[in-house]
Parts: sequence; structure tokens; C-alpha cells
Amino acid sequence: MRGAVVTVSPPAPRHDTAESPTLEIRNITKTYPGGTQALRGVTLSLRPGVVHGLVGANGAGKSTLIKIIAGAERPTTGDLKWLGTSADWRRPADAQSAGVAVVHQQSPVVPAMSVLENVYLGNETATLWKPQARLIEFTALCKRVAFEIDPDTIVAELSVGDRQMVSILRALAQNPALILLDEPTASISPAERAGVLGAARTLAATGVAVVFVSHFLNEVMQICDEVSILRDGQLVDAFDHDAMSVERMVAGIVGTRLHAVEASRPTHEVGEVVLDVRELRSTMMNSAISLQVRRGEIVGIAGLLGSGRTSLLKAIFGADRRASGEVIVNGQPIAASPQAAVDGGVALVPEDRMRQGLIGDWEIWRNVSLADSGDLSRRFGVLDVARERELAAKAQRDLGIVASSIDTAVKDLSGGNAQKVVFAKWIYKTHHVLLLDEPTAGVDVAGKADLIKLIRELATQGIGILVVLSEFEELLSLADRIVVLRHGAIEGDLSADAVSVAELTASVGGLA
Amino acid sequence: MSADTLDDKQVGTLSVVGTLRSARQSLRPQRAGVVYALVLLVVILVAATTVMGLPSYLSSTNISNILGQLSPVAILAVFMTVVLISGNFDLSVASVAALAAALALKTIDTIGTVPAILLALAVGAVVGTANAILVQKIGVNAFIVTLGAMTAVRGIVLIVLNGESTTAKSQALVQIDSVVFGLPWWIGVILGLGLLAIAASRFRQARSAAALPLDGFFVALIIAGILMLVVSFGAPELLTQPLPVWIMVVVTVAVSLGLRFLVPGRKLYAVGSNPEAARLAGINVNFYKMAPFILSGVAAAGVGLIYAGRFNSVDPNALSGTELTVIAAAILGGTSLFGGAGYVGKSVLGTVILFTLTNGFNMLNLGSNYQYVVQGVVLIAASAVYTVASRARKRQKAAAPETTTVPSVPAEVK
Repeated sequence: MRGAVVTVSPPAPRHDTAESPTLEIRNITKTYPGGTQALRGVTLSLRPGVVHGLVGANGAGKSTLIKIIAGAERPTTGDLKWLGTSADWRRPADAQSAGVAVVHQQSPVVPAMSVLENVYLGNETATLWKPQARLIEFTALCKRVAFEIDPDTIVAELSVGDRQMVSILRALAQNPALILLDEPTASISPAERAGVLGAARTLAATGVAVVFVSHFLNEVMQICDEVSILRDGQLVDAFDHDAMSVERMVAGIVGTRLHAVEASRPTHEVGEVVLDVRELRSTMMNSAISLQVRRGEIVGIAGLLGSGRTSLLKAIFGADRRASGEVIVNGQPIAASPQAAVDGGVALVPEDRMRQGLIGDWEIWRNVSLADSGDLSRRFGVLDVARERELAAKAQRDLGIVASSIDTAVKDLSGGNAQKVVFAKWIYKTHHVLLLDEPTAGVDVAGKADLIKLIRELATQGIGILVVLSEFEELLSLADRIVVLRHGAIEGDLSADAVSVAELTASVGGLA
Repeated sequence: MSADTLDDKQVGTLSVVGTLRSARQSLRPQRAGVVYALVLLVVILVAATTVMGLPSYLSSTNISNILGQLSPVAILAVFMTVVLISGNFDLSVASVAALAAALALKTIDTIGTVPAILLALAVGAVVGTANAILVQKIGVNAFIVTLGAMTAVRGIVLIVLNGESTTAKSQALVQIDSVVFGLPWWIGVILGLGLLAIAASRFRQARSAAALPLDGFFVALIIAGILMLVVSFGAPELLTQPLPVWIMVVVTVAVSLGLRFLVPGRKLYAVGSNPEAARLAGINVNFYKMAPFILSGVAAAGVGLIYAGRFNSVDPNALSGTELTVIAAAILGGTSLFGGAGYVGKSVLGTVILFTLTNGFNMLNLGSNYQYVVQGVVLIAASAVYTVASRARKRQKAAAPETTTVPSVPAEVK
């Protein structure tokens, strides 16, 4: 499967390489105050009329590079040359006035305003709004990207894909020399991708330099004239369309990365089915999803952003009111509400831990007993603070939560320690199923190793675990079985032993 | 931190000074500002009355007077605080109280005292439930829903009263309102000593590093205990008060303790702080968002009954504008409009400040023309102090993270 049929003209034969580059990036490094080295000497040249693909795994340094091009970050060393002269952009407005336009994965649009108003938002060259002149400009813009839309439509009524096109038009209205498309297709439906991809090609044809950032390697193959691959902050490979191949891209992205997780997964007993999901449907899913998890089994969900992986976990947990289908835990059907799920022995460690998993202003101890305060209380619902604090102190010891005391507010904790508090909230409660959404995101290497160990231990105790992880090395070393999710449908169910990171990367990207 | 050092800390005992240090957090202006403001205000008024040769501000008569006046508003402030903690807002309380008063006085002569009271309370529950459903189930903004309810319910008051004030022959409500209860001075002494004993035991527990650090609750216990002893020995006549004042005291203490010591209280703060995290932790968010509206409606109706008993008469504009005084009191007490933070006891202190201002203006003969200006300025100044103080605290924390993290746990019952 290849998403929808994308009717895009294949890249034209090589452009005149002698043409002077729009933006030259020379030996750029970026070190963050915390010591993280996001970029270690990257050199790129972006030329007019060329669609340049930028690919790499999470944490490869893509976002940092995008921010530098957009003027949102300044490089630590190295320099940028814009149209032949050196550029020192201190804020996004500098880059924008030079001629850089950025379209983000979900560009902010003002829903209550019309398409026309959105396209020219923040681009008022004159104080007076001249609808007629704008309309003529707008029609010209639409022609440029071969897109038809009624300028008077209110943006709130548009689909996500059409909104994305409005963002592209808005970027175009600035008459940029370089346009940066940051995962523009990640959150839109397959049918709408064609329009966005086509727009990227047509733009290049009019002499704009286009940077196309995507995890979807099939899309990169389709529309890019050349590709640069980032890994661990370095440019590891670069080639043009003729030399492009799946193997070369995947090899470049995956490399032989070192990671904190010991590869050998301890063998453990797998028991009877503890989570049985039948015909589950929700908004982000294109088909009904059925899957099973056994006691002691760790099932990994591999999928890109927008593949429906978070929606799936939320739907299982009953946190998606629009979901339908059956969830059976330990033989008991679970009503569709988080409360019923928790009562039935299901726990969710959500993706955004500060917004969904913790109460930032509260101390460790009150967060640990957030889901448990009823069970920890004395008669008549009187809180047993001493017991709650004992449990929190035990959690701090068991999980190695680094904090001066259990009275530390969780918002003051590092990512890994905060995540351990989220785990602590659940692990002392008798439960059957643990749903983990990116449990190691934003956690440093040491914290990651701790969390992976903890997840394995929990599985050994007979809990069924369903885990979403973007880091495929981690996912493969952790899971027994991998379910591949693409565009809201299960595209494969593989044994973790039988699949490599490269195969998995290709599979979620729609290449396998 | 390794597990060993942690164990050492767990079993360790803190020095007296170290134990007390943890209570210091609750004395910061952004936590205890309302107490300082009240003390300052009282000092100024006492000085002014003394200098001008007026009857002392702190006379038992004057204090009883203020307590009697503020008790209905303080009761409303208690439940308003509960609504605010849940992350909502209720502007309809004064209208509901007026409607309850009007209905009770209109019907008491025909259907009898108890049915009239039940009818009034039921109407409060109905309005509260309607607010709750519209806000939580339909998803309309609480400000708009309760603004609409405030207007519409006031309209019903006008219809019920046909635009005129009404009264009742029955004296039942008047009698209930003016029933006086008195505690003998020695019970006051026992209560005061009891409060101090609880404080002492909290202190003893807190010396173990594993126990909950001392907080505003500890400070409040000490202040309440000492006040109780002073009153019992110095002015035992203050222990005799009409029923509404006792209702205020019982409601404040009960709700404070409930919020601090009961599971639903903890869950209410959780839902107000971060509804999404609370929902994903399996807490019934709908219940904790809706119940406060219903409580608030019933309490407002109860206050309406007190009002009806006090004047044995109600006019179409009765209590109008009181909802703003109630919200002002809660804000003076440091309750957050964003939910998840606030203390019932402090809101009552906020009410005391507002009524002390009014009372002081009358005593000093400053004319009521200036009164609203001063109330408004005090309200804004208080919010500014809370905001600035908490921002300064954040900056200080950011400058020296982790090590300066002093545990913060709700203070309660001031």
C-alpha cells in the first residue's frame, strides 16, 4: 500500500547545478545550554527550483536545523549564506523578511476567518485592506500551486488537508525564495496528500527552493530532487533523485546507533489473553482495529505521528468518547470511560506527561496517590496521609526518583523522574493492562534504561503491556511482538525477533 | 540521591528549628496575605477609633454586629470557593437566594414552615443542577451560563413578587434566624486548649522527616487556639451568637476539613488543577465539576432563608450585587480563578475584610460614598500582591532549583 495514488509529475531531470544557491548552510553546529549537541557540523546547499528532502529519525537534529533555517535558533558555530551574502538571523521575523517561509505540520490558522483573510494574515503591507487587489493576488497564488478554493470560505469549515493548503498559500503570499515544509502531510488524510505534494513540485517549478521534511519515505522518493540524511546531528548521506533507493535511505536513517538498552530481551512466560480489543473504531482510525495482548507480553505499536497510535491507546482506555467497539480485560468487558478502565485494571501512561499524567503544582506524594487515593484511605473516605506518603517514599526508593524529598513539586523534576512518578501512580495498584504512550520521550539515557527495566519487570509480574515508541531500536529490544500501524489501520503483526529496525522503518513509512 | 541517603532521611528527626522552618512557607505574603491585610486593617481602625474617642472598634457589640452582618455572605463565599476550586464560576447565587427568600415568604403562610423551607432549598438545587448540566454536559462557558441564570432567576423573583416586596404572617423564619446559642466560657477554654494540643501533636509528628511537613494548617490551629482562649477569658459574651453565625462557623470548619482530609476533597483539587490528568487517573470529572454547582445552589437557597428570616420581608432587588461581593471575598482570600487552588477559611477571612471596611467607614463617619472605591482598590491590590509575590517566588526558585524546593501543602482553616 502506498497511501493514495499521488498524481505528481516525477522530478524533472537534474537542474542546472551551477545555479547559485538560495541558502548555503556551512559547517553548522548547535550546542544547547544543557550540553546537548544537536548538530555537529552540517553543510547543505538549497538551490532554487529544487525540492530538497530532509530525513532522519527522531532526535537526529532535523528540528534544530529547521529552526535555524527559520531563524528561530542561532547556530553555535558555522554560518548561513543567503543569496550569496552572510545572514545572521536573530528571530523568525528576520528570516521571514529575507524570504524564508515555513509551513509546519499543523500550521496555526485562525478558524473564524475566511481563507482570504488567513492567507494575508500578518502580511499587511498597507494599512488599508483592499479586497479586490487581494483577490487578484490570491487567484494568482492558487494558480501557482494548482489549487482551487473559494476565498470566502471560513477556515473552520475546511478539512485538515485544505487548512494545510491555506498555510502553504499563506507562506506563498510572502513571495518567498525558500519554502520549508515541515512534515506537511503527517496529519492529513491520504487523499489530501496528493494536493500538498503536488504543490511542493509546482512551487519548485516556479523557481522557489523547497525543503521537504518527512518521515514518509515514499513521499520523499516521489517528489524530491535530492535528499540529505541526518543522524545524530551529522549529515551522513546525501544523494540526488537518480541515486535514491529505499535501502540507502533506511540505512542512512538507522545507521548503527548506540543505545542505552541492552539488546537481549530476557525470555519470560506469556500467559492467557488479558486484553482483547475487538473492532475498535475511532476518529483517527481508518478501519476497525482488533488486537490481543497476553499476560506478561509486551506488544509494541510501531507507527509514525498521525498513524493513529495515540488514538488507539486512548480509545482502548475509554478516553475517546467517539470510539466504538469492544474492550475486554481479563474476560470482563470494559465500559468506554477512563473510570471504568481504571476500575477494570487498565492504566495509561499518556504521551504528554505534564498535561495529562501529572498535576505539576502537586508534590510527588500527592501525584503518586492520584489514582489511588480512594484505596489508600481509611473508612468514610478519610485520607490516610501517612500511608500515602509511605507509598510515595517506597516509590521513590523502588524507582530511584531523584528529588530532595517526596514533597518536591513534580514540575521541578526532570523528564525521566517525572515519568517515574507517572509510573508510580499505577504500579502499586493491582492491574492487568498497562498502556504506554511514548514512555521514554524526553528522558535522558540513564532514565531510559531505568524505565525500560521497569517495564520489563512489570511484564514479568504478569501484566499485559501495550507500548507506543518512536525509537524503533528501543521498541524492538523491549517488545515481544510488533503491530505496525499506518494511516489508522493495522498493516502488520510481526514477532520482534523476526524484524530489523530497517524493515520496521520501511514498513511504517509505507515502503514495505 | 542514592537509596542509602534516602533511608537516613526517612528515619531522621529534624531539629525544632528545622521543623518550624517548613511552616514558614505558609507565612509568605502570597499565602497568608489575607491575614496580614485583616490585621493591618483592624490595627488602623482600632487606632483611629481610639484617637477620635469613639467606642472601641474591637468592642464585643461591634464584633457581634459584624459577624451577624457577614454570616450570609461568608456562607456563600465558602461554597463559591468550592465552585472556584473545581475550575468553575457561579454568578447566580444572589438571585437564587432572593428567589428562595421570595418563595419561602410567599408560601409559608399557606403550606407551612417545613414545606416552605424544603421548597426553597429544592429550587436552589434545581438552579444548581441546571447550571451544572449546561456547563459540564453541554459545554457552555460557566461565566455565561451563570450570568444568564443570574438574570433569568432575578426575573423569576420579579414575577413571583409581581414587582412588590412581600412579607409573611408566620414568624417561624424570624425565630429561626434569631435563635441564640451560647457556649459557656469553660467550653471555649477546652476547645482552645484542644486546638493547641492538636497543633502540638502535629509538631511532634512533623519532627520525623518522613512525615508531612508543617504547613498553614498548623499555623491556623495555633492562631485559632489562642483566639479561642483570649475570647473565652476576655470576652466570653462573644461565645453567644445567633444561629446564622454558628451555621457559618460550622459550614466553614466542616467544608475546610472535608477538602483537606477527605478523598472527595483531594479529588476536587485534582479536577480543578488538571482535569485531563484527573480524568486519565480514573477520577469522575463530571461529578466533581457538577456537584459544586448543586451545592452552591442549595447553599444559596439556605442563605435566602436566613435573609427572609432576618427582615421578614423581601423586595425584588433583594441581595442584588451580592454575588460580586462573594467572588471578591474569595479572590481576597487568594482563591484562583483558574481552579485547583483556594481555601475556604481564607475566603471567609476575605469576607471579614470586606465587612470590616464597610463597618469601619460607618464608624468613622467617612460616608459610604467612598466605600466602593476602597473595596475595589483593596480587591485589585490584593490580586496584584498575590501575582507579584508568586512571580517573585518562581524567579527565586528558577535561580536555585531543587535545593530550595520547600514542600507546599495546602493551608486550611484559618
